[in-house]
Order: sequence, then structure tokens, then C-alpha cells
Amino acid sequence: MNALEIENISKRFGNFYAVKSLSLKIPQKTVYGLLGPNGAGKTTTIRMVMNIIIPDTGAIKVLGRKMDEEMKERIGYLPEDRGLYPKMKVGELLQFLSELKGLRGQEARRRIDYWLERFDLSDWKQKKVEELSKGMQQKIQFISTVIHDPELIILDEPFSGLDPVNTKLLKDIMLEMKKKGRTIIFSTHRMEQVEMICDNICLINKAEMVLEGNLSLIKKQYGKNSVVLDYDGDASFVQGLAEVAKVDDYGKSMEIKLKDKADPQELLNTLVSKIRIDKFEVMEPTLNAIFIDKVGDRDAKDTVSH
Amino acid sequence: MQKILSVIKREYIQIIRTKGFIIGTILGPVLMAAFIVVPVVVQFISVDQQEKIGIIDASGETFTELEKKLDQKLKDGSRRYLLINFPLKDDLESLREELNQKVLQKELTAYIFVPADISGDGEAEFVSEHVSDFDKRENFNRALSGIVIEKRLKCEGLDPLRISEYMRPVALVTKKVTKKGVERDAGGTFIISYFLVLVLYMTLLFYGQIILRGVIEEKSSRVVEIVLSSLKPFQLMAGKIVGIAAVGFTQYAIWALFGLAAARYSKRILTGFVPAAESFPMPSIPSYILVYFVLFFIMGYFLYATMYAAIGSMVNSEKEAQQLIMPVVMFLVIPILLMMFVIRSPDSTFSVVLSMIPFFAPILMLLRICVLLPPFPQIVTSLLLLLLSIVFMIWLVAKIYRVGILMYGKRPSFGEILKWVRYS
Repeated sequence: MNALEIENISKRFGNFYAVKSLSLKIPQKTVYGLLGPNGAGKTTTIRMVMNIIIPDTGAIKVLGRKMDEEMKERIGYLPEDRGLYPKMKVGELLQFLSELKGLRGQEARRRIDYWLERFDLSDWKQKKVEELSKGMQQKIQFISTVIHDPELIILDEPFSGLDPVNTKLLKDIMLEMKKKGRTIIFSTHRMEQVEMICDNICLINKAEMVLEGNLSLIKKQYGKNSVVLDYDGDASFVQGLAEVAKVDDYGKSMEIKLKDKADPQELLNTLVSKIRIDKFEVMEPTLNAIFIDKVGDRDAKDTVSH
Repeated sequence: MQKILSVIKREYIQIIRTKGFIIGTILGPVLMAAFIVVPVVVQFISVDQQEKIGIIDASGETFTELEKKLDQKLKDGSRRYLLINFPLKDDLESLREELNQKVLQKELTAYIFVPADISGDGEAEFVSEHVSDFDKRENFNRALSGIVIEKRLKCEGLDPLRISEYMRPVALVTKKVTKKGVERDAGGTFIISYFLVLVLYMTLLFYGQIILRGVIEEKSSRVVEIVLSSLKPFQLMAGKIVGIAAVGFTQYAIWALFGLAAARYSKRILTGFVPAAESFPMPSIPSYILVYFVLFFIMGYFLYATMYAAIGSMVNSEKEAQQLIMPVVMFLVIPILLMMFVIRSPDSTFSVVLSMIPFFAPILMLLRICVLLPPFPQIVTSLLLLLLSIVFMIWLVAKIYRVGILMYGKRPSFGEILKWVRYS
């Protein structure tokens, strides 16, 4: 059984397609990345899965069933637009949100305490939400998403606004949940996070899917025709070299996509004489490069700079 | 259902705990009682002091009469007004100037100038620093008029005592006919109608505002989508509206307790301050009116609460809401403006029609019930129309709310809202 099956869903707002003929199958017990630039349709897709927006056409099956209100107790959902009741105390708020998930009494209290401890927020239990920092509030929001130990966890931009320490903590918890057999779907436009934890990905651009599948398979498809270079000096000439198809220059490092059948060795020969090289690695393209390749430079820059 | 209960519980507890609620509930009746009791009490306390009143008697024969008439006593038995005669010398103006000074130096509270032709067209004068004490003014005016009228009557050879006997006004007792019989009414109906309707109006306005604020808070704090990951928008809206209704009932219950206590003890308390209150019939509220009051509060509440919820879901801030809320508030204000008309002619066609219009019905039908119990079919019709509008409103608002609650940014136009209703 798949954790999520989306069949040919479309959603239009006026004349604008937010999602167009999208089909997906997400296997259970995997981490699935929903990628795409801003406005690509990720959030709309997720909202349709959550039954918040009704698709114009198509069907969605969650955990083998049509989505309904009962299913919401088996799903944990962290929306992109998220916040908390500012005037409520942290403990009360988590109590309330667990009740909405059908979790009550002793068990709810035990889990709330466990998660607050885990996120180092125990001292804040009796404080009002408005006294918490943004990052703390985000952790509370995450707790409310997983407090009922859902089978399927859907996170819309879970890392936005988190510092590196908490990003790592969240990533560790996500992997831990995967190990426990949960399915995690999350959307992001930060490629390095995806490469670290995703089994499968789907890339959406302008309401349509442009790429889908197993992350390592996708990378293999692209072949080992990329070079990552750390350098010192003026490397502007690289763009014009015969072997080079495309360059992403970051100033001190660059990712070079080679033309078909070009020999990396020859490229290295050329480079050595002109600039100082700290690192030269032939590898599969990074997801970032694939993303840019698929989405197109202009769209991607909007995303990356975001 | 379990989830709606959780929402109801949250709304209830969160609001009951706010300072606004505690102050409004406890302090409201206390303040109201204070507004009624304090002025009465203060009036009777402040007079317990002798006042010196100067008299310039140009007529030469009024002073002794005045002393006889103004014989009010203080609690210790001494005169309330100590009248001091200032015999008129040659120069009236210098005497007046002298007395003006005495008033300013507080040797006298006031002085009265009685002109020579007081029995004719002469105007008497009351001169004081504080001319707003109408009670004192009234006392002096009555005494002077009495003296002059008696004098005039005597001049015509008439007996003032007999004349005043003839001039005694007719006692007109107001009685109210109800199905149960005839009962005496000393203006109580009017006061109660006014009071109940105002309470209904204020609470509808107040709780509407609470709902509006609650919905906007959920939206602007972005908590709404987290909540909606567990329940339907309709459940959230229903839970909120019912939860705040429960707050309303709590408030009413507390006020009712205050009211009961007041009804039981107010007469005793009032009589303690004002012995005359003994004979004043305390207005009592017939129980059927209370039943209708609760019924119309519930109906009115749901009608207006849904509208407030819809508006809350459309906007991003309370400021934005203020413009949209105007028409809704108008629906509440219009019946208040029409109140006097309906009280005066509760069974005119205009009043009947107005009290059938669902938006006005809670206030105007209740008012008519208080003033003159309308035929039962009319009450049932207005209740049914109200119920139908509530059902329609819930249907409509649920659609607006469902879309609006997740829309951020520009406030939707009327056309867009129509589209939400059609598509969702």
C-alpha cells in the first residue's frame, strides 16, 4: 500500500492553474521531498491532500483510503502558514491540539512532557506562547504535528526559520520517525536538506510535475558528468571551454556540467595551468544543478535567493 | 463532536479568564446599581447642613410668610434654611452689592430678592454661586408662589384652603390588562422593556465583537491551518460560536443572581436611605418575558454571531473589519432608534412588520412582548423567520468562512465573496 496516491489532480483559481494534472505515488516508510520554486503548487497540493482545498478534478487516496475527517487523526500536518494562539499557555495549547487529534488525559500529558523535554522547552510549559521566540514557537508547532504519533507526516517548509542547531535536531527526528516506519512528506526549496534525507522526490514547476522518482536513480540518470571545483583565481574563461556545457560559478567554487563524452581529465589539464585548484571532484550532479537545469535559470534564482 | 467540544471548552475558558470578562460581569451590575443608588443617597446626605439664605423683602410682607413656608427641618431638628432679613434701606443697589459680596465670601449660600410688586408682574430673584441646585430653587419657587397665590386669592375674597381643595388633580392610575387580569403599573413596564432591550442590544453587540476578534486572532496568528489539520472549518466555527454563547449564558446567569438579590433586598436598602420608597411599587419582570428574552437572545446571538464570524474570516485585521462591520451594527442600531415608536404604538402595522424582519426581530419583538403581549401567531412567525434566516446564514457563512479563513492579503471584493459561495 502506498502512503499517498494522487491521481491526476488539478486545481484552478480563476484562470490560473495552481496544480495541473499531477499524479504521485508515495510509498510507505519513506521520506519524500516535494520540491519546486515558490508558487509552483506545492502548498496547494498539500492542502488538497489535507482536504482543505477541494481539487477540481482527480482523486486522492491517503493511507489507502479516500481522505476524510477521521483520517486527520492518522496524519500529522505542519502547514506553511503556521502560528499559535498567542494568549494561551504552551502546556494548555498542546493539550488542546492533542485533544483535537483524539489524544486525551494521562497519555496526552505524558507525550507533551516528553516532547517539550526533547526540544528543551520544559521550562516554558507554563509560559504564554507570545513570550516565546519564533524558533521556540516553531518547535511547539512541530510538536503539535507529531504528538499523536501519526502514520503519515506532512511538513510544508518545516525548516524555514530554524537555526542550524534546530535544523539538525528536526532532521534527526524526521529520520528517527522514518526508522519507526512512518512516512514523511515534506516540501522545501532547500536542496541540501533534500539530498540528506529524501528517498524520493518530486519536482514541481508552474503547476506541473517535471521530475519524479528515486533520488539516487535520478542522479544516476544524469550520469557522472559533473565536476565540482574549489578554486582561487579568475575562472571566467571556463564558460568558453570546449568540454563545458554549463557553469554555476559561486566565486570560490563552481559546479561544471560537462558536455556528453567530454573527458574531465582534459578539463583538469586546462584548469591547472590557469588557476589554483583546491578541489576537483567528478560526481553526479547535485540536486541543486538538476533543479536549476529543470526549472530554468531564471525561476531557480528566485528560489535560491529566497 | 468530541472535537467541537474541545473547541467550545477552549473558547469558554480563554474568555472567562480575561480581565475584560471579569470586569464586565462583576463590575457591570455594581456600576449600574451605583448609578441608581449613589445619586439618591448623595442627595439625601448632602442636605444635612444648615444654609443661610438672605432675603431682601421690597414688598415688606413676604419675609414672615416665607419663614413659615420654608420650615424644612434637618435631622437634629434645626431649620434647614436659616432666613436672614436684610431690611431695605434707601439704596437697593448698594444692598444688593453687599449681599453679592456675602455670597462670594460664603457667609450666605444665596439670597432672594422679593420685588415690591411681587403680587403683580414683579420678578423675584434667586442669587447664588451655585444655581444648578434645582431642588433648592424649586423649594423657594414653590414657597414664593404659594405666598403670592394665597395673597391674590385673599384680595379677591376667596379662601385659599378651599381653592386648593378644588384644584386638587385627579389621580390617574395606570393599569395593564393581560390575559391573567388587570394589574397596577407604575411605569414599571416601560422601565423593564427599556432595560431588557438595552441589555439584549449591548450583549449582542459585545459578543459579536468577541467572535470577530477571535476569528481575526486565529487568522492573523496563523494558527487556523494547524487547527484545521484536525477538524473542519465548520466545526471550528460552530465550536467558537457555541463556546462564546456559553460565555454569554454564564454572564447572564451571574447578572440574574445579582438581579435576584437586588429584587429581594433593593427595597429594604432603598427604604433605608429614602423612607418614601416604601410606597413605591418595585417593578417585577413576569417570567414569560424572561423566557422570551432568553429565546430571542439565543436567536439573535446566532444570527449576528454568524455574520461577525463571516466578516472576521474575510479580513486580516480588526481595523479592516471596522468598515465591514458597519452594516451589521446598523442592523442592531436601527431597532434601538425605532424603540420609542414601537413602545408608543406596539400594535401598529409598522411595528408588527418591523418585528417580523429577522434582523430586527430579536430586539423589536422582545420589546413588543414587554409592552403589549402580541398575538401568539405573530411571535411564532417572527421566531420561525428568525430560525430560517439563521439556517440560511449558517449555510452561507460556512462557505465564506471556509475559504476566507485561509486567505491572506488583499481583502476580497464582494464579487470574489460571491464566487467563494458559488464554488465551495
